[in-house]
Amino acid sequence: MLKLLNAGFTRLLKSKTFFLLIAFSVIFPLVMIYFGYNDMKVYKGTVEIDQLILNYTIFTGLVCSIFTSLFLGVEYSDGAIRNKICIGHKRKNIYLSNLILIIITTLLSYLIVILIIVSIGIPLFGNMLMKFSNFMILMGCVFAAMVAYSSIFTFIAMIITNKTITAVISILIAGNLLALAPYCMRILEASPTIQEARFIDGEMAMFEIPNPRYPSDKKRIVIQTMLDVNPAGQMFQFAQKEVKNLKRLPLYSLSIVIVFTACGLILFEKKEIK
Amino acid sequence: MELVLETNNLEKKYKSFKALNHTNIHIEKGSIYGLIGKNGAGKTTLIRVICGLQAPTDGNYSIYGIDSKSKDIINARKRMGAIIEIPSIYGDMTARDNLVEQFKLVGMPSLDGIEEILKLVRLDKAGTKKAKNFSLGMKQRLGIALALASNPDFLILDEPINGLDPQGIIEIRELILKLNREKNITILISSHYLDELSKIASHYGFLDNGSIIKEISSKELEKKMEHKIELKVSKQLDFVNYFEKNKISYEVIDGNTINVYGKHNLSKFISELAKNGLVVEDIHEIEETLESYYMNLIGGDNNA
Repeated sequence: MLKLLNAGFTRLLKSKTFFLLIAFSVIFPLVMIYFGYNDMKVYKGTVEIDQLILNYTIFTGLVCSIFTSLFLGVEYSDGAIRNKICIGHKRKNIYLSNLILIIITTLLSYLIVILIIVSIGIPLFGNMLMKFSNFMILMGCVFAAMVAYSSIFTFIAMIITNKTITAVISILIAGNLLALAPYCMRILEASPTIQEARFIDGEMAMFEIPNPRYPSDKKRIVIQTMLDVNPAGQMFQFAQKEVKNLKRLPLYSLSIVIVFTACGLILFEKKEIK
Repeated sequence: MELVLETNNLEKKYKSFKALNHTNIHIEKGSIYGLIGKNGAGKTTLIRVICGLQAPTDGNYSIYGIDSKSKDIINARKRMGAIIEIPSIYGDMTARDNLVEQFKLVGMPSLDGIEEILKLVRLDKAGTKKAKNFSLGMKQRLGIALALASNPDFLILDEPINGLDPQGIIEIRELILKLNREKNITILISSHYLDELSKIASHYGFLDNGSIIKEISSKELEKKMEHKIELKVSKQLDFVNYFEKNKISYEVIDGNTINVYGKHNLSKFISELAKNGLVVEDIHEIEETLESYYMNLIGGDNNA
């Protein structure tokens, strides 16, 4: 396993995809800071750096999907997995070393984002508004969701042999998870009642009536669970700093990691490689 | 006789199609084993199974005496190097970087041997050129270089000269011979290019429809490929006595067929036999090549 990780990091440091990821992790927060600073000057508002840090989490799924499919996709197209098996590495170790590599890279890219926002943002916008301990708890949950993302996209990249199909499926899944989160939030945020205008004796009167789109208790639980299980849903909640089930979210992330990694290991062990 | 690789009734099915059908192969230590078979005969499937890329449906194989069902087969594979169809190289890395990666993968304690290997495969001057921009011959040589990173005792090369120009073919041939002679590496090489194989192989295995139909050493094959005369005779024993007495190399093929080896003037030979009261019913002069031998084995042109 250590040999695989050692070789993996060597390749990472030679990989253009990795340097593009690092470049993105540097440029994106700089752009966020620039727009934040402009808004602050024009509208005399305030910019919360903790908000900037949390806003970025929404995009991490997409970033992780692109990086993983490009970096690991090459493993099949260049015959690297075949080579690793031929020289006597266990399939389990090949899978896990790739997963570890993706997790570390994903977390590293986010740490770079945090570092840039903190180092430039604090002098420009002032200190964080959140309590440091609360912020750290949120960060722990964000990291857990990122590990969940990594396990999903590693699973796809290790099971699908074709690099292009891996990239398309990974990005589609990341996009769909991203789209599903605000959809669930809209349903959950629906008001229990809505106002209805009625004409009584020629005069208009407003009435509060039950909102037909307000989900039932059962439906609320289902949709809230969907939002909580979905790593993108978790990221949206972190960005809004309104997390209903904070303690549950890392557990959901952990479940995703366990399920996808276990399935990935089983399927990869049985996979017929050409 | 120490065997590096042995398969026992190896079978591989893809749904109802049998790619390997009770395949039995025996590769001696120090040999260059030429695996010959037409497209779809099962050469690459056999190599994939041996390399652990695919699991056999039935049967087993052993590498250095370690059975494929044993957990230690992983360790046996550490003594192997393989190139299966296309060399496993990272296109966006240089030859040197690819070797560094491979050295780390196999857990070499230092990177000291890299320059030597690059020199051996004549890629020491490839410099900063990315592997994706290499010629096919260079890619094959880099593939062999990667396979050599772990100092293997056994090298598997699947179609290593496919698509190479004559110069590339010569380079790979010389490299294979050098590895076998100087480093004593046992080599399994599959190819369609029978002429090329006949220049390097010390042993042959003929694969057809997933089964090894014949294993033969190059010495035995050379004997069989000698110029020969096929005689159809009725009194076989008289012929045998005559050949023994006159020290003529021969082989009894069946009840009424005898092959006589060596160059003989056909008319003189027949009259000489006639003088000794030996009547030949039918006679054919045969000059066999590896190709004709292979074609005869698999059942002639119709099967090619």
